[in-house]
Amino acid sequence: MRAVIFGAGRIGCGLVGLALDRAGYDVTFVTRNPALVSQFNAVGSYRVRLVDGQSSEEHVVSGARALFTGDDLAVRRMLETADLVATAVGASRLPQVAPAIAAGLRRARRPTSVIAFENLIDAGPALSSLVAKDLPAGFPLGQHGFSGAVVTRAVSRRLGDLHSLAPLTFIGDPPGTFYVHGPSLPEGLPAVPGLVQVENFEACFNRKLYTFSAGHATTAYLGYVKGYRYIHAAIRDPEIRAAAHDAMREGQCGLAARYGPALAGDERDLDAIVRRFENPALSDPVDRVARDPVRKLGSSERLAGAARLAAVGGIVPVALPMAAAAALCFAVGAGGEVAASLPWAAEATDSDQPGSGFTKLFGADVRSAWQEMQVDWRPDTPIVHLHGHETPGGYR
Amino acid sequence: MRIGLLTMASGSTRFSPLMPEVADLLKSWGAEVSQIHPDEDLAELVKVEVRHDLYVLKAGSELALSLAGALHSAGANILNPYPTAAICRDKVVATRILQSAGVPVPETYVTARPERLAPLLDHGPLVVKPHRGTQGNGVRIAWDADQLDEMTPSGGVVFAQRYHRPDGRDRKIYCIGGQLFGVKRIWPARTYEEKVGEPFALSDELRAITIRCGEAFGIDVFGLDIILSDDRPFVVDISSFPGFKGVPEVALRLADYIYAAAEQVVAGTATLAGNGRGRAAPSEPVQERPGQ
Repeated sequence: MRAVIFGAGRIGCGLVGLALDRAGYDVTFVTRNPALVSQFNAVGSYRVRLVDGQSSEEHVVSGARALFTGDDLAVRRMLETADLVATAVGASRLPQVAPAIAAGLRRARRPTSVIAFENLIDAGPALSSLVAKDLPAGFPLGQHGFSGAVVTRAVSRRLGDLHSLAPLTFIGDPPGTFYVHGPSLPEGLPAVPGLVQVENFEACFNRKLYTFSAGHATTAYLGYVKGYRYIHAAIRDPEIRAAAHDAMREGQCGLAARYGPALAGDERDLDAIVRRFENPALSDPVDRVARDPVRKLGSSERLAGAARLAAVGGIVPVALPMAAAAALCFAVGAGGEVAASLPWAAEATDSDQPGSGFTKLFGADVRSAWQEMQVDWRPDTPIVHLHGHETPGGYR
Repeated sequence: MRIGLLTMASGSTRFSPLMPEVADLLKSWGAEVSQIHPDEDLAELVKVEVRHDLYVLKAGSELALSLAGALHSAGANILNPYPTAAICRDKVVATRILQSAGVPVPETYVTARPERLAPLLDHGPLVVKPHRGTQGNGVRIAWDADQLDEMTPSGGVVFAQRYHRPDGRDRKIYCIGGQLFGVKRIWPARTYEEKVGEPFALSDELRAITIRCGEAFGIDVFGLDIILSDDRPFVVDISSFPGFKGVPEVALRLADYIYAAAEQVVAGTATLAGNGRGRAAPSEPVQERPGQ
C-alpha cells in the first residue's frame, strides 16, 4: 500500500505519517521545503516522541521519503499508484496542492482515499472542488473519496537540524484518534491506527472546535493578557484555568443542544482536555497558540462560533466573550489591522458602532471586557471579576 | 535543562519561601533544578565551574553576588546578568544610572565624611543609607547635624538622599517580564500581611517610570521602591531580583519566565552571560500596552 502526504510539518509527520506507517503504508511526503526533502531522503527516518507530562514514548517512522513540490513528474507518478493521499498543508494552501492531486488522480489505477487534515469544516468537499477544477469535464471523480479529518493530537514542535544526518524528532501528546467522514471514502479502507469513521463529520469538527480549541484559545489569549509565556504555565493560573474550563463548558452546552449530550461529552472530557494543556513536555508557547487571531475570531470560529451555539442552547456565555476580548488585545498588540478584517471587532471596540451578528448577541460583553482590559485592567486585578458578571448558574 | 537557583537557605533571616515553590514548578515541568545556598556551603573556588544552563541569582548576600561573579567570569548565563545585579547592589552607581535615564530620584549626595552633609540639612532632612544595603537595613533619617556625628560610613561611603515625606504607605513596583504590579506596604512591615501589602493601580506616570528603569538597566525582572510625596514620585531604590511579595501567582509567573529564559539559553537564541542585557525570554519585553 502506498500513501502520499502533502506537507511534512507537525501534523503531517507527527500524526499522519506515523499512523500510516503503523498501518503498513509505504509513506512519501511531498513538501515545498527542499532542505527537508534532502534531510528525509538522506536519513530515511524520523521520530515521533509522545509525551503526557508523566511518561514519554518514542516511535520511529522508517523508510520515510520525500519529494519536492515542484518535482511534478515524480509527484504525479507517486500519486498514480497511491491508495491514500493526505494533505496537512494548512487550509489556505489547498489550492496550491490541488493541481498535483488532480494530475495524479487522472491516471490513478484504483479508487483513492483523499483525506485533508486541515482545520476546515468542509475540508473534504472543498478539496474535491479544487481538484475537480483541474480535471476534464466528465472525469469520474466520484470513484475516489474525499474527507476532512479532525485530529486530536497536539504536535507542538520539531526538534533537530535539517542539515544534519540525525533523524528529526516531532514532539506531540499521546491522543492519536482522528475522525473522518466514512461515507465519503471508498469502501475497503484498511485499518489505520487512530482512524475513526463517523457519519456526522460536522458535529465531530465542531466538538473539537468548541471545546478543545475554545479552551486552548482562551488559555492562550488570557495567558497573553496576564503575561504568561507557556500554555502549561497559563493553565495553572486559577483565573485562566476557570475561564478556560467555563469557555469549554459554554461550548459544550451549545454542542449538547445542537447534537445531543452524547456527542457533546461531559465534565470528565473537559478535565481531560485541561490536563492536556498542563503538559509541559509540549512546551507550547502562548504566542504560537494565539497566532492568527483574526481568523480565530471569525464568527463561526472557536470563540464567537461557540458563543453563538451556546446561545442556541439557552446559555449566556461569559467566558467566551471575555476570551474574545483578550484575543482582540493580542491582535492589537501584534499590530494587526483588526477592524478592517473583522467588522464585529470594530463594533466591539467602538461603542458608537451598531451591533450586528455576533456583537448583537454579545457585543456588550466583549466591549465591556475589552475596555476593562484596555483601560482599567491591571495585572494586579482579577480579570474575571472585572468582567462584571456573576457566572450564570444555568450550565453548572 | 539544568537550572541553578542561588538562594538563601531555609532558616536564614532572608530566606524567601518563594524560591522552593518556583523550584517545584520548574521540576514539574521537567527541568533539573538545584538550589544552591552560597551562605551555607563551603565552596572551593578553583572548583567553581558552570554546571547549569542557567543560574538565577535570588540570594541578596555579598557572597552570593561574588559567587555569581565567579560563575559569570566562567561564562555562566545568570538571571539577572551579574554585571547588572552588581550595579543594582551599589546605590551610587544605580542611582546615577537612574538619573541619566531621566528617572525622578531625590537629590543624592555621596561622601566619605558624614560631616560634609551638615550644610545640606539647612534645606531639610536627609535619608542616609548603606550604599550596599538591602531591605531597608541601616536606613536613617538625619534631621540635625549632631546626628551625623554618630554615623560611620558603610564601607567608607555615606550615601544620602533628600527626604521627601511620603504620602501614605511605601510603594513597590515589581516587573516580571513586562508585567507590572504595584503593591502598597507599611514600612517597616512586621507581620506577613503587612509584608504582602495590598495592590494598587499604577498611574500612567508610574508605568512610564518603571519602563524607563527597566530600559536603563536592560532587565525586565526587577523591583522599584517608590516614594510619592505631594503626588510627586521618586524612585529610591531598584533591586535586581526582589521577593515580589504581593504579586498574584508570583511563583508561577517567575517559573514561567525562568523556564522560557532557560529554554532560550539552551536553544542558543538568548544569552544571559553578561552582555549587559538581561531580558531573557521575552517574547514581550517591557513595554507599555494601551491604557496600562
